[in-house]
Amino acid sequence: MAKIDLSNISHSYNPNDPNPVYALNPFSMTWENGNRYAILGPSGCGKTTMLNIVSGLVRPSAGRILFDNKDVTDLKTEDRNIAQVFQFPVIYNTMTVYENLAFPLKCRDFSKSKTNERVNSVAETLNLKSFLNSPARKLTADQKQLISLGRGLVREDVAAVLMDEPLTVIDPDLKFRLRRNLKEINEEYKTTLVYVTHDQNEAMTFADNIIVMSEGEVVQTGSPKELFERPNTTFVGYFIGSPAMNLFESEASSNDSVKINNTLIKTNTNLSNLKNKNIKLGIRSEFIKIAQNQNENLVEVNVEKVEDLGNYKLITAKMGDFTIKSKVTRETEIPTQNVKLHIPAEKCCVYEDNKLI
Amino acid sequence: MNKLYIFLKYFFIVVWTVFVVAPFLWALTTSFKDFQSVNGGVTYIPWVDFEPNLEGWKVLIKSPAKGGVDIIEPYFNSLFVTCTASLISIILGTLSAYALSRYTFKAGFVKNNDITFFFISQRIMPPIVLSIPFFLFLSSINLLDSLTGLIVVYIVLLMPIAVWIMVDFFNKVPREIDETALIDGCNPYQAFLKVVLPNSIPGLIVAGMFCIIFGWIDFFFAFILTFTEVQLLPVKIVALNSSVTPWWSLSASALVSVAPLIIVAFIVERYLSKGNLSGAIK
Repeated sequence: MAKIDLSNISHSYNPNDPNPVYALNPFSMTWENGNRYAILGPSGCGKTTMLNIVSGLVRPSAGRILFDNKDVTDLKTEDRNIAQVFQFPVIYNTMTVYENLAFPLKCRDFSKSKTNERVNSVAETLNLKSFLNSPARKLTADQKQLISLGRGLVREDVAAVLMDEPLTVIDPDLKFRLRRNLKEINEEYKTTLVYVTHDQNEAMTFADNIIVMSEGEVVQTGSPKELFERPNTTFVGYFIGSPAMNLFESEASSNDSVKINNTLIKTNTNLSNLKNKNIKLGIRSEFIKIAQNQNENLVEVNVEKVEDLGNYKLITAKMGDFTIKSKVTRETEIPTQNVKLHIPAEKCCVYEDNKLI
Repeated sequence: MNKLYIFLKYFFIVVWTVFVVAPFLWALTTSFKDFQSVNGGVTYIPWVDFEPNLEGWKVLIKSPAKGGVDIIEPYFNSLFVTCTASLISIILGTLSAYALSRYTFKAGFVKNNDITFFFISQRIMPPIVLSIPFFLFLSSINLLDSLTGLIVVYIVLLMPIAVWIMVDFFNKVPREIDETALIDGCNPYQAFLKVVLPNSIPGLIVAGMFCIIFGWIDFFFAFILTFTEVQLLPVKIVALNSSVTPWWSLSASALVSVAPLIIVAFIVERYLSKGNLSGAIK
């Protein structure tokens, strides 16, 4: 267990090239002891590189890594006291399940009784108790992944457990249970968990801090609520949330309002310096409701379709050239004509050059 | 259709079996024949067609002074040279293969694949090209006509096989296994010994089998690099031949010389059928 500082880290896989391509652009970040972090981003955005830098499998081209203020940048993987779980199960085929789970402890000269106690407790958590003596290679893919996970959790003293999309091969039901288990483990042992995923739901339900990445860049870090309500960039707004954030190209008008399709939408952002500049207005479909008795920020729309998605209804509507999506409760009656939607000013985000103002 | 399929299947199995087994049966019966039975027309069944005797086998263990060709010493020489050279080749070959598979080497334009090819190229060369250099080399270090000299030469011949098989094998063992072992707290040597190597036993067995076969059957270098002090089995068997071909003792010695390979094949086959070779990697 440790506080992990990443300071000015950047990495390129071809640093000696005249035009090196950076898999990770310089960034700094601190992972507090005992928290749950999710690194979220599309494939190829540098998530795995970031994990490998922390575990020491990759040495960053520049920058320092500190565990509890101790510089470990040049420390070898085996001396870093990190646990890492990969996307696909990695097990030691020639060993039994018990030996697999005990391996990290054996490598670090733990006593027999301590090993036994830890292996049994982890096996209990992961439902592997009945398999302890079977050869690991005979298990199914998701059980094998549980073993990988178990090897990561078996040591109590690890600086952090890094997981690289660990639940990809596990079926949805078990996935849900395991995520909860991981949360419990984190709460009980105060282990720092870092979880890489491209699935926003997984990130949102698992982590208390989310790091959103795109093209080697850390775009935003924050709690799920912050990311949802105030996305730093249009990328985050687009990437997080389902459906993606409504984004309208428009221009600033007087009184901090934005003009969309000849309607003025008032915002709580100070737009006095941006008059007549091209900006984007972003609003979550969750915050757009059918107007009741508001008299401000109303837009008149033509409803194109209404999808019933079980626990909510998704309205897709047109207003001029703009498409607007609104998420409403199932009970909401949706009139067929003269539909007016209300856009609350306090939930509006305004972007200039795709960055939040 | 189905019946035809079964018929054809068994038909080809029978043909193949005859093809494989017939030479052995021929050698086995011939080894119990004498001059008359070999030269006096075709005979098959002992006691009916011909009177079996053990002369062909006895010659093999009789000392030359008594008109025999004692093959016991060459036999053990062959065993010793083949096993030692194979073992050393496997150890060296596995280590170099692991390095070639996991680390990046670069010397000018020479890279990992070129080094691997260099090893294999040693086998592409016709052996005769190497005979004079080997002869001069061994004579310069006084190892001509000695077991040690032969072992050195056989390591040169067998190690490429081991490297070639093991590089391919290690390339198929996912790198994440090594990385996981490092994360679990092994140093790179422990990761290799405790995790990668046990996972590679099937490859080791295949490489070992090839080394043993190629070492055991080599006649060329054993013939050129030894004279009187040391003899290997293939050379001794060829020396059996004389103006009157002794088919009986040649057959007996052929059977004896194939025996170790048959034993190796049986062990590997056992291992294969236990499913240990398949599914070693996901």
